[in-house]
Amino acid sequence: MKILVIEDNAELLHDIKDFLEEEGNICEIAPNYHSATMKVGIFPYDILVVDITLPDGSGLDIIKVVKKENIDAGIIIISAKNAVGDRIHGLEIGADDYLTKPFYLAELNARIKALYRRKVYNGRREIVFNEINIKPERHEVFVNDYPLTLTKKEFDIIHFFVANKNRLLTKEAIAEHLWGDDIEMADSYKFIYTHLANLRKKIAELGGKDYIKSIYSVGYKFTDHE
Amino acid sequence: MNLVRKTNKHYFIFLLLLFPIMVGVDYYVIEYFVNLEVNDVLLHESERIDYELKRNGSLPHSNYIYSTETVPENFSNQNKFGDTLVFEAYIDKQIPYRTYQFTVDKGSQKIRISLWHILLEMNELILWLFASTTLVLLLLFGGLFFINRRIYQWAWKPFFYNLSALKNYDITRKEPVQLKPSKINEFKELDKVVTALMEQVKKDFQNLKEFNENISHEVQTPLAIIRNKMVLLLESDNLNKEEQQWAQSVYQEANKLSKISKSLTLISRIENQEFKRLDTVDISSIIDNIVRNMEEIIKFKNINISIDLDSVTVQCDQILANILFTNLIKNAVQHNKEGGYIDMMLTSDKFEITNTGSTSDMSTAQLFNRFQKGNKESDSLGLGLSINQKICDIYGFRLDYERDDDKHTFSLFF
Repeated sequence: MKILVIEDNAELLHDIKDFLEEEGNICEIAPNYHSATMKVGIFPYDILVVDITLPDGSGLDIIKVVKKENIDAGIIIISAKNAVGDRIHGLEIGADDYLTKPFYLAELNARIKALYRRKVYNGRREIVFNEINIKPERHEVFVNDYPLTLTKKEFDIIHFFVANKNRLLTKEAIAEHLWGDDIEMADSYKFIYTHLANLRKKIAELGGKDYIKSIYSVGYKFTDHE
Repeated sequence: MNLVRKTNKHYFIFLLLLFPIMVGVDYYVIEYFVNLEVNDVLLHESERIDYELKRNGSLPHSNYIYSTETVPENFSNQNKFGDTLVFEAYIDKQIPYRTYQFTVDKGSQKIRISLWHILLEMNELILWLFASTTLVLLLLFGGLFFINRRIYQWAWKPFFYNLSALKNYDITRKEPVQLKPSKINEFKELDKVVTALMEQVKKDFQNLKEFNENISHEVQTPLAIIRNKMVLLLESDNLNKEEQQWAQSVYQEANKLSKISKSLTLISRIENQEFKRLDTVDISSIIDNIVRNMEEIIKFKNINISIDLDSVTVQCDQILANILFTNLIKNAVQHNKEGGYIDMMLTSDKFEITNTGSTSDMSTAQLFNRFQKGNKESDSLGLGLSINQKICDIYGFRLDYERDDDKHTFSLFF
C-alpha cells in the first residue's frame, strides 16, 4: 500500500518511513503542512499518517482538505497532544484512528494494516502466514484449516504478531496493544509469557510450526526465518 | 476575639478607669463650687447685716445668724470662714455647716457675729455622684457599643464579603475573584494589594503550569525516537549479551519516562479543567468493561472476583470516569496476591472495592502522594492514586482508604 507520513520531526519521520518500507509499503514523507497538502492533492495514497502540530499549520486542516476534496484515504492521527478534545475533534472531522506519541511503531503498523483492510476489503480479508490463517472480522484463526480455540487476548496477541511478522515486539508494546496504555502491570508480562506458551502449544497440537521466538528477555519475534 | 469585642473591651476598660476619676473630680469640683457659693451667700448676708445695722442701728433679722456676742473694744480677730459639724438631735446626725465670723460695730459696741449655712451632706453627694456618673457612663458605653457594632456591620461589610470571596479562591479557576469596593481607604488599599498579589500568584502558577506542560509534551517525540532506535538496536544480531542488556535497560527506562510524563500531563490536564464534559456516565457498564478487559489477567493471577453492581449513573466526564475506575480496579489486581480476592460493590452513593494484598504500613495521606508506592518492589509509578484524587476533587467525590491486615478497601463516595 501507499502511505504518506506527515510529521515535522525528521528523525521520527525517517523511523516511521524505514519501518513501513521494511513492511513492503511505498512510503512517502512530508515534513510540513505545505508539502503535505501539495502531495495529497497530486498523488493518491491509501493511508495518511498525520501529525497535528506542524510548523506551518495544523494536521487537522490537512484532514479537512482531504475530506473536502473527497480523497479516499484512511487517516491516522499521531499527536503528542493527548488532549481529549483533539482526539474527538480529529475523529469527528474524519480521521479513522488516533495514536498518542510516543507510540510503538509496531502498534502504528498494526493500526495501518487494520485500517487498510477495513477500507479496501471491508474487513473481509484473511491474513495468511504459512499454515496460519486469520479472519480478523470474525476473530477466528485456522492452522492447517483446523480452527484454533483462543481466548480474546490470545487472539489479539497472534493477530498483532502476524501483523508485525519478522519484527521484534517488545513486551511493553505487546502489553500496551492488549490493554491500552493506562494499564502498566508487572503481571501483564508474566501473563504474556504464559499465554504465548499456551499459544505455541495449541498451534503445535494442530500441526503448526513454532514461529514465536523469544528475543533475549526483551520481547518476541514472530518469524519463519531461522 | 473579633474586632468589635476587642474594641469594646478596651472602651470598657477605659471607662472603668475613668469612673473613679470622674467621681473624684466631680466630688471636689462640686464641693469647691458649693463652698464658693455658700461663702458668697454668707458674705452677702454679712454685708447686708452690716448695712442694716448702720442704717437702723439694730440687727436685722437673718436666717443665718447663729450667734452674736459682744466683744471688747480691742478685739481684733479677723473675719474668717470655717467648717463645723453640729449634732442635730432631731435627726440624730452630725450636720456640716459653713461658718463665717465677722465683727461689726453697733454704736459703740463691737459685736462678733457668726453666720452658719448648712452644707451638703458629703456622703449623700458621693452617693448621688456615683449613681449619676454610673448612669452617664453606662449610657456612654451602651452608645459606643451600639455605634461600634453598627460601624462594624456597615463599614466592614465589603471586608467580610471579600474575605469569603477570598476563602473560595482557587488558583486553577479561570475567572478572577471579584472584590467588592469599599469607601474606606484602608480597605481600598488592602483590595489593591490583594488583587495585585493574586495576579502575581496566578501569573507564576500559569508559568509553572505551562512549563510543566511543555516539558512533558516536548519529551514525547524524543522518547519515541529513543524507543524506536533501541528496538532497532535490539533487533540487530551483532550485540553481545552485555550490550544487549544495556540496550534493554535504556529501552525500559525510556518507557518508564514516557509513562511518567504521560501521567503528569494527564494530571495537569485535569488541573486545567480540560475535561469539562458532563456526560451521564453509566458506572456499572464502565466497571463491566474494565473487568472484561482484565478478565484474563485476573484469571491468570487466580484471583476470585465478586461483583455486585447496581445500575448507577453519575454526571461526570466519561473519560475521567474510565481513568478513575481503571486505576482503582487495576490497583486491586496489581497489588493482589496469587489466589486472593477482589470484592466490588456499587450502590447509588458509593463504590467500594476490597482486595487482598500485602500488608503495608503506609498511612492514607502518604498513599495519595505522587510517586508514592505502597510496595517498594512494584513496577508501578505511584501516580494512579494522585490522579484519582484529582478527579475526585473536580466532582466532589470522596475517596477513602482503609486497611485491615492484608485487606485493602477503597471507598468512593459520589
